[in-house]
Amino acid sequence: MCKLNWFKFSFSLMLFFFVTLFSGAFVNSANAQKKEVVIGNILPLSGPSASAGVEGKKMREFIVKQFNANGGFECKGELNGAKIKMIYLDTKSNPTVGVTDVQQLINGDNVDLITGAWNSGVTYPASQVAEMHKVPFVVPVSVMDRITGRGFKYLFRIAAKDSWWTRDQFRFIDYLAKKTNKKIKTLGLVYINNDFGKSFDDSWLKLAKQHGYKVILNESYAETATDLTPVVLKIKSAKPQILLVVSDAADAILLQNTMANYDVRPWAVISSGGGQADPAFIKNTGKNADYLFDMSEWAPDMNKPGLKELNKKFKKAYGIDVNGETMDAYVGMHTIIAVLKKTCSTNPDKFRKEMLRSKLSTGPFTVMSYPYVKFDKDGQNVDAGLILVQVRKVGNKYERVTVWPEEDARAGFKVVFPQPNHY
Amino acid sequence: MGSAILNGILMGSIYGLTAVGLTLIFGVLKVINFAQGAFLMSGLFATYWFVKFTGTNPYLALVVVVPFTYFMGYYIQKFLIKPVFESEKDVREPIGVIIVTTGIWYMLDNLALMLFGAQYRTINVPSVSKAISIFGLYAPLSKIIGFFISITVSGLLFWFLKYSKMGKAIRATSQDREAASLMGINQYKIYNVTFGIGTAICGIAGAVLLPFYYVYPTVGMHLDIMDFVIVVLGGLGSIPGALVGGLIIGLIESVGSQFIAYSWTIEVIYIIFLIILFVKPSGLFGVKGEF
Repeated sequence: MCKLNWFKFSFSLMLFFFVTLFSGAFVNSANAQKKEVVIGNILPLSGPSASAGVEGKKMREFIVKQFNANGGFECKGELNGAKIKMIYLDTKSNPTVGVTDVQQLINGDNVDLITGAWNSGVTYPASQVAEMHKVPFVVPVSVMDRITGRGFKYLFRIAAKDSWWTRDQFRFIDYLAKKTNKKIKTLGLVYINNDFGKSFDDSWLKLAKQHGYKVILNESYAETATDLTPVVLKIKSAKPQILLVVSDAADAILLQNTMANYDVRPWAVISSGGGQADPAFIKNTGKNADYLFDMSEWAPDMNKPGLKELNKKFKKAYGIDVNGETMDAYVGMHTIIAVLKKTCSTNPDKFRKEMLRSKLSTGPFTVMSYPYVKFDKDGQNVDAGLILVQVRKVGNKYERVTVWPEEDARAGFKVVFPQPNHY
Repeated sequence: MGSAILNGILMGSIYGLTAVGLTLIFGVLKVINFAQGAFLMSGLFATYWFVKFTGTNPYLALVVVVPFTYFMGYYIQKFLIKPVFESEKDVREPIGVIIVTTGIWYMLDNLALMLFGAQYRTINVPSVSKAISIFGLYAPLSKIIGFFISITVSGLLFWFLKYSKMGKAIRATSQDREAASLMGINQYKIYNVTFGIGTAICGIAGAVLLPFYYVYPTVGMHLDIMDFVIVVLGGLGSIPGALVGGLIIGLIESVGSQFIAYSWTIEVIYIIFLIILFVKPSGLFGVKGEF
């Protein structure tokens, strides 16, 4: 009796699956014209990186709202007349949650495309799941080198990878020497002892050798350090001409203020877009951060057509200025839309083909720090460039002013090097 | 090098001050107060807002911050910790109370997060933050003032416990709370006062730290771990022990880092910590119940 019941149960279960499967196939083939493109977004909407995630979400909403209001896709193919539907899931900056999110989006929500996840540590495993299911994954931000170059076919990264950051920092040092005719010989490297800092330091040491600079100080400090005076005293006695720094938020403030208090002023301090890019940094250091260089992907004061207008509209809608985070989301969303317009289909192979073929430089793409979006066969945006900002006094406030590359520099500003009163 | 030694001594004494409250509360209540970091954070925030609203010197904030943190500690002990204490009164080292202090830690940290947001805040006091030269050695005035405040506060506390009537009652309770009760000492009153003094010292430490440090809701976490090391190093319950423990850590951090990478000094601190625990498990000054 019991056996028979089990048989009946498994039989009906199989029947149920078959029916669902066939009805699904039937609906799909009958519905050749798609009404909507479903894009899954995985972002850190709570937890330590929440502010970045929330800002990115706002920009995505801003773009999609406008796009749908204008009638959605207009193209010859299955997407004609289709609109975009966004689904947002929170990763909490946790890789495990990110992976579950992607599974949910693919199996539960049948998304056509995924974008996210901001944290490199989340993007890395999450994109693997998407690749397995042949769902295109567009990465606007995560910079960890290893994300691309895994032979994935459906992964595309907009942001510059982290080895490019150090490469451009050294290009900038070369530029400083050439531009001002000063002989730069010695470097000091100070970094926070975590993945972020260590990967920069490894790369700096190699580049210093290649570019012919002598590293006379290579110092790390723990994430939990409460006093950075010992590090500052070491800088003071070693006196490197250029100081390269990687910091998170709190320690960036502590380091900058302690250096100012001990009057430690190298020719230039060049930081790496970590804590120094946090709005809290300038607020809490002010004059102490004067003439600091920071690497960035983008800045609101860049000399780019259409930028002011975009900022005005976005601020009106969400009350915040466009910043680096929102800009990454902006380029990511516009890339997806531009490519889908061309393929007029959500077929992942067509999407890949078009992504590799496109070179996006007009329309919404004029506000970026680099001239175009173009992907190599690894899915990396090949010319994602970086810029340098210098903290300068504008009026009675200290601001991040774009100074390099020269053509993007804020009108009326040039690099100040070496900084006044240096040792 | 001289500046590094000086910085080590100055920072060490301030670290010691942040740990004095913890050691006092343990000495008397036999409770490891996990909310120590949160009280420090409260002291930092209280100083921050005082300076922000009045625009005066952070050391003037002591007038307001000390009573504020004292009564905060007093009433937290009275209304939140005491009930648990009473239900565990037959246990020498009450575990339930430790869990309650952990709850208070989370509550205060998240309250600060709700009220003030997660951003970092600093105050800018150029008059005390610039490094000055003393016999060719450099140190910011804020740390020198911090050093003197730390020594004075520890000295006063030591004197208070040794000679004042309340101090004697506190010591009696710490040595044997039942015997003290039999002598007519109200045990819970003593606990309230001790907790209040412990948190008030966190308030003082907050005012001392803020001119060269920053504040955000979970700032206490970093100092917390260090405070536990200091207290165990110096001997649980010992006030001179806390100061000496602080000095040892400050000196290793500052002087050691002139020879090895700064991030390695933490390794050295923990190695010395382990050695002291092996050789003298009660810590340098650790005689139970003795101040």
